Amino acid sequence: MTDRPEPSFGAANLRGVGMSHYLPMPIVEIGDGTAPLPTTRGQFSAPAHVLDSEGRLETGMLASLTDSIGGMTSGLACLPDWIVTTNLGLRRSPDALEGPRGTGDLTINTQVMRRGRSSVVTRSTVSDSAGHEIATSLITCAVLTPAGGPPPFTRPVTMNHYELNEDPLYRLPPEQFFSLEGGSRAGEVLLHPAVHLRNPWGILHGGSVAHLLDTAARCVVADRTEPGPTPGIIVSDLVIHFMNPGREGPIIADASIVGRHGRDILVRVTARDQGAEGRLMNAAAMTVRVL
Amino acid sequence: MPESPADTSSPADTRPAYPPPRHAMRMLAMESEQFENGDVRGWLPMSPIFTGPDGGPRIGVIGMLVDALGGMRSITAAAPEWAFTADMSLHLLPTGPIERLQADIRVLRRGRRTLVLEAELSADDNRPAGLALLTFAVVPRPDHLVNIVIDTSPGRRTMSRLEGDQEPPTDYHRELGFIEESAGIVMVELRPEVGNTVGALHGGVHTALVDEAAASLGRRILGPTAITTDIHLAFMELGFTGPMRAEATLLGQPDPDADRVGAVVQVLDGNDRVCSYATVEVSAR
Repeated sequence: MTDRPEPSFGAANLRGVGMSHYLPMPIVEIGDGTAPLPTTRGQFSAPAHVLDSEGRLETGMLASLTDSIGGMTSGLACLPDWIVTTNLGLRRSPDALEGPRGTGDLTINTQVMRRGRSSVVTRSTVSDSAGHEIATSLITCAVLTPAGGPPPFTRPVTMNHYELNEDPLYRLPPEQFFSLEGGSRAGEVLLHPAVHLRNPWGILHGGSVAHLLDTAARCVVADRTEPGPTPGIIVSDLVIHFMNPGREGPIIADASIVGRHGRDILVRVTARDQGAEGRLMNAAAMTVRVL
Repeated sequence: MPESPADTSSPADTRPAYPPPRHAMRMLAMESEQFENGDVRGWLPMSPIFTGPDGGPRIGVIGMLVDALGGMRSITAAAPEWAFTADMSLHLLPTGPIERLQADIRVLRRGRRTLVLEAELSADDNRPAGLALLTFAVVPRPDHLVNIVIDTSPGRRTMSRLEGDQEPPTDYHRELGFIEESAGIVMVELRPEVGNTVGALHGGVHTALVDEAAASLGRRILGPTAITTDIHLAFMELGFTGPMRAEATLLGQPDPDADRVGAVVQVLDGNDRVCSYATVEVSAR
């Protein structure tokens, strides 16, 4: 496609590596790299500036991690083709929404459950440093032949061993790193798709979208217009459908409350690319818990 | 999967008519209405055979409604190709006792290989009752469905239901043949009454099986009022070899108030092949 940039896998270019610097997670492939259904393990070292006051990663950014490792593991099962995420579900354990459980560094074990002709299903299990299972995620990817080919890999894969990047960009609080801006009402949040929020193919990283949608959902529940921390309000589960890529921006997320069940609030969220005639990018359903 | 209210028999087709007389769909007596733009609205009349402890509908039967209506919607959206359910998420709000549940299905995106649908659920026509999102995989029309004609013209119609002389069921899951082997493990023999058009476990029954395994685990931990409140379900393989077995295991631990649990549910066929994978939440509130 002539309107798309050549893929960039990190060499002297923020595109494709920005998310990896902000949410650092070295990933290793388990085994000798010949398994038809690969398994991988990611070790997320939690920088303090991305965590809440208890030391917990917000659900959208946790989904960003499972999207990264799930997508990569799915892709390994498809080489020399590659994948694009079409559906991401994540559920946190009810006992890990507050208190010490589920805080700090995380380990994400990922396995390909099914590799079909046109799609791949991957499961990730997230554990905290004490070994408690604190979340599980299911990702479906579509198989495609990417322009410029897949990312280069040596099997078994060891990746994301980037040097700690001292650029102050990677020390910003999430609402600044993700270039968020409040909309005209509670639950409306805009994201400006800066280059560091894009993937190697120049489209908005799925993890950026996950954070945007999570933020919009928490904001509508908190009745606030400005993105940022929402103490005592957390997304306990989410399902995100990726339908079209974000290319132009700004991306506008719109969250609305469907109904309540005790402390749980069911929220519907969409994201549209305003610069692409408002094209619908994502639809999501989330449960937001008021602790 | 488009388990449509179609009768697959034809003069040249010697297979038995689908769905059979006491099929899982027939016992729900659902109704549907198709609009000019192809969108579909459907209704599930409430019955004590499938309500939960709070008097509202079990999530599994809502899965059947949404899957069936989504299948109807997919027929025109995917035409001339075919579509089958790839994944489904269902989030329910408590309704308590109601007369009927309504689902409004619309297309969010028709891509080359996938179709994404949304279902808004409402109780007694206007009270929000939940939300469902479904992905259908778009595929070439299977050979056995090439000549089938399904009525997708606008209008309201009843879907498959029991014939007038048939005994009504007393319990939906018992009628389907669900057997609770132990807490969190539920199995069902693969019979035509729980099958789809190609003889595999019906997608809606699949959802009910996941619901029952999760609720079974929840009842052991939370008590008799435990109900499944939301499901994320990915269909991976068609289940052609019975018995089918759903196994629910805890995700982490119950919450500190001990009124909810998260669980992972796998449905396996008779060869221990994973046919679907789900995560669920079960609540006792």
